Amino acid sequence: MARVFVIDDEPDMVDLLATILKADGFEVETDTDGRSALARMLADPPDLVLLDLMMPDLDGMELLKILRLDTKGADIPVLVVSARSGHQDQLGTLQLGANAYICKPFSPRELVRQVRQLLGSTDGEPRG
Amino acid sequence: MSKKRISLQTRIARHIAFAVVLSLVASALVLVVFRHRSVQRNMERAAQTYASLVCEPMVTKISFLGSSGNGILDQEVAQLRELNADVNRLDIVDVRGNVVLSSEGHSVVVYGDGMNAPVIEDRDLSRAIAGLEPSTAVVKEPSGERVYRVVAPVVDQWGVHHFSLVGTFSYAGVNRQLRNSLWLSALILVMGLGLTQWVSMTLARGITRDVERLREGVQRIQEGHLEERVTVNSRDEIEELAEAFNVMADELLATIQWLREANRELETLDQTKADLVANVSHELKTPLTALRGYLELMTDGELGGLPDEANRAAMICRKNVQRLSLRVEELVQLSRFERFMTLDPAREEVDLLAVLDGVIETFGPRLEESNIDLDLMVKERIELLQLNPEQIERVFFNLLDNAVKFTPEGGSVVVTAESNARDDSDGVLVSIEDSGVGIPRLELVRVFDRFHQVDPSSRRRFGGMGLGLSLVRSIVEAHRGSVWAESTEGSGSVFVVWLPRLESGSEQPLQPSPSDKLKTENGSGNQSEEG
Repeated sequence: MARVFVIDDEPDMVDLLATILKADGFEVETDTDGRSALARMLADPPDLVLLDLMMPDLDGMELLKILRLDTKGADIPVLVVSARSGHQDQLGTLQLGANAYICKPFSPRELVRQVRQLLGSTDGEPRG
Repeated sequence: MSKKRISLQTRIARHIAFAVVLSLVASALVLVVFRHRSVQRNMERAAQTYASLVCEPMVTKISFLGSSGNGILDQEVAQLRELNADVNRLDIVDVRGNVVLSSEGHSVVVYGDGMNAPVIEDRDLSRAIAGLEPSTAVVKEPSGERVYRVVAPVVDQWGVHHFSLVGTFSYAGVNRQLRNSLWLSALILVMGLGLTQWVSMTLARGITRDVERLREGVQRIQEGHLEERVTVNSRDEIEELAEAFNVMADELLATIQWLREANRELETLDQTKADLVANVSHELKTPLTALRGYLELMTDGELGGLPDEANRAAMICRKNVQRLSLRVEELVQLSRFERFMTLDPAREEVDLLAVLDGVIETFGPRLEESNIDLDLMVKERIELLQLNPEQIERVFFNLLDNAVKFTPEGGSVVVTAESNARDDSDGVLVSIEDSGVGIPRLELVRVFDRFHQVDPSSRRRFGGMGLGLSLVRSIVEAHRGSVWAESTEGSGSVFVVWLPRLESGSEQPLQPSPSDKLKTENGSGNQSEEG
């Protein structure tokens, strides 16, 4: 089963994301701190990353940049979760190397759909 | 202004010249009149003196002349004539009116006895001749000439009045002198005019030099050199004006600097506000996400089934969280568009039907709940439009939200899309028709005003802050489109959006729209979503 790594500084959000994904049968790893999450991901790359943008210390944008510079992290699909709904914000994140973007507050269904789509497209499997 | 410009110098010079010429002419006229009168008086006095001079020798010789008085005086009269140039003729007339001697020009005629001497018949003259006092009069000659006539009695030492001398004097000399002085005056006037021209221009330049300097200074300030100051040292009103202008320029400069500063402060404030909104939205949205996510998991049975009562409560929570989410997003959008409304939104090719599909999809649960039928009718193929996808999504979301909000349970909302040209520009017309309460005619325009609600109590009944439609109008207008509402009160409203097909600079022919999948059906392209 695909392994999803969830990074968010809000424990409740982490819990929600994990609950949604687990309910849909994914294997979930979580972290509320950007630095330790980065280290863990590079040590054992997951199949997909759910990344919050606004985090203290190391924010999502920075984390994404560093992840993409590393050979191990360059190809991991990243789904950004953010409160910023602006078009420019989305575009900026995609330019930094995120694969998709989902705005808060989202519906669990929408999240699962996007996660499946990302995993499907990297696996090369066509999805409906 | 097409009026011809006249310099101030010319105007002042004209006024000065006018005054000078007027006074010159007036004084010339006065001089001429006075001179005329004095010359005339001199002539008349000379005539009287002359008459008495002529009478003098006659008085001494009168005893020798006898009453017939012939022949003796002719030589003397001829000589005396030379003494006065104005004399026309001299006659010696006896008291009965008979002319004894008549001299006209250089000829002297003495009328002797038996000669046919002329007799004076003029009554005024006869009376004067008979009088013992000298008299004068201005009379008209038969030739029409105006002459001065002096009648002087010749009385001997015994007081016997023998003759009277009648002298006629011409005004020709006087008139000649008058003509000469007129000519002279005219000459002086003409020379004076030339001089006046020069003097008045010089005088005027003295005044206008300062005005010109003032004008140049003002013009420099007007051209934007606000630090320029006008220097005039005329110690008069012009200098005061220049000083007043300098003070004004100082104040203008100060005001502009103050405005610039105030504007900078406002910009900072605006930025702060935008940052605040971004932060607030983050702070609001994160907890909302957690709420929404868990509530949906709970009500969808993903966390194990809930008892019926609990499930109903969770459903209500879920609905309200969704409403709260919408309001937060509305606020964020509004603050964003307020800042960038005037800017041209970033555009890309957008399939409008796909946008409509997407938006309609998000209404699924709400439609289901209130049993509202939402249909998308596409009358023909819609071409790709140059739009900002995010903003356009917001437009239709708000319009549909509005339509659904005001449609009673079991009602219907119909969305129609068709190609439509307006004002010589291709475009697409989308109308959203609800079967709601409708809008009073007077409110149709105002519904797009910010915070405007048709019925203040509707805030409680229908929710919302009156921002949605104002945002719709802002976005549509930023896309150079238009939006309006039509309504029949009681039987629903139609909101119509027209968006132009703006050509981007290097526009290639539009590709066939992916919305072709929505086959062109006449009338009923029923696309009820998640009904």
